[in-house]
Amino acid sequence: MSEVIPKLFRINTGSCNGCDVEFVATAFVDKFQLETLGVELVNDVKDANLLVITGPLTARSESFLKNTLTKLKKPFVVVGIGTCSVSCGIFRDSYAINGPIDKFVEVDVNVAGCPPRPQSIAEGIAKGIKVLEQKMNGEATPKAIDTIFKDFSAPDSFRGRMSLNEENCTACRTCEIVCPSNAIEISSTGDGWFVHKIWHNSCCFCGNCAYFCPTGAIFSTNSFDTAKLQSEKFSDVNVGYIDYKKCSSCGDRYMPPSKGLLSKAYTHDDVTKLNEKICPKCRKEANFKRMYA
Amino acid sequence: MKEKITIGPFHPELEESVYFKLVADENRTVTHVEIINGFIHRGMESLVTQKNFMQNLILTERVCSLCSNNHPFAYALAVEKISGVKVPPRAEALRVIADEVKRVASDLFNLAMLTHLAHHHELMKDTMDAREHMQDLKEIIWGNRMDMSANQLTGVKYDLNEEKIKLILETIALVEPKVNALQDRYENDESIRAKTIGVGVLPYEDALELGVTGPVARGSGINNDVRVVAPYSLYGELKPKVTLRDGCDVHSRAMARFGDIVEAIRMIKEVVANLPEGDTYVEKRPHIPAGEAVVRVEAPRGELIYYLKTDGSQKPVRMKWKVPTFTNWEALKVMILGDKVDNVTMILNSIDPCISCTER
Ligand code: SF4
Ligand code: SF4
Ligand code: SF4
Repeated sequence: MSEVIPKLFRINTGSCNGCDVEFVATAFVDKFQLETLGVELVNDVKDANLLVITGPLTARSESFLKNTLTKLKKPFVVVGIGTCSVSCGIFRDSYAINGPIDKFVEVDVNVAGCPPRPQSIAEGIAKGIKVLEQKMNGEATPKAIDTIFKDFSAPDSFRGRMSLNEENCTACRTCEIVCPSNAIEISSTGDGWFVHKIWHNSCCFCGNCAYFCPTGAIFSTNSFDTAKLQSEKFSDVNVGYIDYKKCSSCGDRYMPPSKGLLSKAYTHDDVTKLNEKICPKCRKEANFKRMYA
Repeated sequence: MKEKITIGPFHPELEESVYFKLVADENRTVTHVEIINGFIHRGMESLVTQKNFMQNLILTERVCSLCSNNHPFAYALAVEKISGVKVPPRAEALRVIADEVKRVASDLFNLAMLTHLAHHHELMKDTMDAREHMQDLKEIIWGNRMDMSANQLTGVKYDLNEEKIKLILETIALVEPKVNALQDRYENDESIRAKTIGVGVLPYEDALELGVTGPVARGSGINNDVRVVAPYSLYGELKPKVTLRDGCDVHSRAMARFGDIVEAIRMIKEVVANLPEGDTYVEKRPHIPAGEAVVRVEAPRGELIYYLKTDGSQKPVRMKWKVPTFTNWEALKVMILGDKVDNVTMILNSIDPCISCTER
């Protein structure tokens, strides 16, 4: 077993500089513990075995990235930092973007975040080092990846991974419309259900969805657990199911008002009792009969 | 003997990718400089026309994460100008607080990079540590260390309660003495003085002619701070005191930034102490009619201009920025020519370049 000294080189492929600035903080502020990982920052990419890549890969950067990659000696690992590097994030739809980087280089670890917390960056690098050890020492079965942080919770107000409370969601699509990164996708299954997906690797953690959601169904958690292996890239999704209810009177399907909305409208009542299981049409009819029949 | 030297585009000393082609003589003095750009071009002027007004609140923030509050701030001002919205006084105050907190953190980061490039490790660490207090504050109050998501189109998204105000004041009380001590060290430290005084000189006349802005202008004795010459939001009442230096070099620009930090701290304290009661935004979101607006604000790097054109639909027809680094960039050639090759990255840092703003 040879000793593995991680030699890090950073490449900015067109970031907004947030990820790069936070990388500097990770590298030079003691509390983020990058030094305890034994990382050496090298000046020449030829000496590197740990590439940190930020940004969505602009068209202009592509040939320079390709050229730089030819200078690396195998084995090396690639850690993509920031939502941009994982999925091009908020810039995905632009003519000037040729990424994400995994089109051109084998990525090992992705760290979503916009920018990620330095703790997530350190976590991603720690995972990268583990992969590097596996590559260099040629172990047949990859062992479990260690993490340097046991607890992934940040301050309560931290905008971390988004989550959905299905109970409160009415599939109104406000979140989908205000989301700048197209990270939310709401679709109908055709048989009475809506599927609400949040793609964590596209999300730029801006909180717009939660801010504009009329029912409070979508919310940010304070979890910064976003450093994931490449194999998890496309499965890191929050999936919620919102169903049409069957009207107990006529049997038609309908979308009941969400508990979140009702409790805003009826502040003094117990909303669980208000929500009778009949559709708006039947309710109107019932009310009419009660008053005039 | 002439030597050709290239720096970049990927280089540990370059925060953002840029490519320098230099020619130097036998004393390693730069005799020719060519700067190749475009690495950070993400087509944002096109992107903003594909996104609606709500999405653009966030997209403008991602133009550059160091002045990530100025962009949505200026954008919101432009939209409000077109739709005729007057934001409540409390929202104005909260906008200024967010902006000045960002300014302190942004300037401290630039100063930390200066000491990093001057190989003064200890001073760099101390500067980063001072900045960390602001980062923690941003994370606790706004939810992210860089992108605050503070603004919306009729006010702000966040509010301050007693507890948060206390936290701001406590953080400022920690940062202020550290900033004062750092200012003293940057001013007097022998090795910093030796490496930065007389380096990257931009004479007053050149600065005027090139129309540089922000701390780059202030370091060459010019005051064109937008907060003073064309006050917006609360700046008319706050009357920021602008620090001018006349050394015209890397050191002067650094000290002008310290002046900005000290003044930002003063303003944060003042605004927090006199926070008006009331709403933080206008509840009724108005229709955004067809129209045009130009606004300008003072980002940590200088004057930021926003042009917005709308046609009554949900998306802008055109949006264009003039960012501070755009004008300051030209001054680089004056600064670098005749200076040493080894100083190039430090001179670049002294304009606090925001390439992501410029190339967007
Ligand atoms: S992930 Fe976010 S912070 Fe990082 S470069 Fe992209 S837009 Fe900037
Ligand atoms: S999460 Fe909120 S905004 Fe999104 S569809 Fe559900 S109710 Fe509407
Ligand atoms: S926080 Fe919400 S609105 Fe923002 S990018 Fe993520 S899913 Fe979209």
